[in-house]
Amino acid sequence: MAHQAHAYHMVDPSPWPLTGAVAALLLTSGLAIWFHFHSTILLTLGLVLLLLTMYQWWRDIVREGTFQGHHTPPVQKGLRFGMILFITSEVFFFLGFFWAFYHSSLAPTPELGGCWPPTGITTLDPFEVPLLNTAVLLASGVTVTWAHHSIMEGERKQAIHSLTLTILLGFYFTFLQAMEYYEAPFTIADGVYGATFFVATGFHGLHVIIGSTFLAVCLLRQIQYHFTSEHHFGFEAAAWYWHFVDVVWLFLYISIYWWGS
Amino acid sequence: MAEDIKAKLENYRTAPFDARFPNQNQTRNCWSNYLDYHRCQKALDAKGVDNTPCDWYKRVYKSICPMSWIQKWDDQRAEGIFPGKI
Repeated sequence: MAHQAHAYHMVDPSPWPLTGAVAALLLTSGLAIWFHFHSTILLTLGLVLLLLTMYQWWRDIVREGTFQGHHTPPVQKGLRFGMILFITSEVFFFLGFFWAFYHSSLAPTPELGGCWPPTGITTLDPFEVPLLNTAVLLASGVTVTWAHHSIMEGERKQAIHSLTLTILLGFYFTFLQAMEYYEAPFTIADGVYGATFFVATGFHGLHVIIGSTFLAVCLLRQIQYHFTSEHHFGFEAAAWYWHFVDVVWLFLYISIYWWGS
Repeated sequence: MAEDIKAKLENYRTAPFDARFPNQNQTRNCWSNYLDYHRCQKALDAKGVDNTPCDWYKRVYKSICPMSWIQKWDDQRAEGIFPGKI
């Protein structure tokens, strides 16, 4: 019987990288087709394939780690590096949008009236809903830390409660932000102010939704006894991502909502 | 004929160096003087005083601003949609 003489994980052949690549192709070409020929068929196909790929690939990883024991300490270390590198790449992604915001707001052009906020823009009061949103995300940072400690201490019920609370806070943020978007006196088409505001906060909101989904998956796994007090990297990765989302919001709040008003 | 043109050339003047705008991009210089002229005009007219001191700004902006910009801003002021604060 053949056994590996090392602690690493030689992954079995899998179709999901291929289906993911095909999904990427369908999404990109589908976007172009939608723009020019008004058809959404490729786009829809790409989205469905992407969702199926994500579900099945990550399901397989859970099987390999939690049920088959392939996630030894060295393997976990690799996963940690991977998550850190991914989050770092996301930091750079947001850095670009902050660069765009500061480029336009530090030296406002004559078209804007030479001032920031530009002439004609009524900004949102940073001390109303945006401040509440800040409190909500900061609180969710506390609850996710509570959840982590609960998991490490083997407190199953507390872990479930605090993780649920974190996800609810995430939903509350998304709901509040959606209301703000609906009621805002300016749109994405309102000059560079609208563009920088909605692109930066919009991508942030998308990341909140992604983070909430990641945490929700962790909640389901916690309920199903996947995590041990020593080994729960999936949860840690979700928590790291959630803290990253919170920090991005803090920068958004200070730069765009507060200084930019 | 040649003397007239030479004399004419010698009398050409442009806006002097303004240390507030030392770099190649002079957009802000044009914008600033356009605003300053119209603010000066508005302020002195409100006091009912002669607004000849404002002419400096007028000559600077007429020298260094592209004519299309001046036209566009004048039209915007006429329509009440000029974005600058005067």
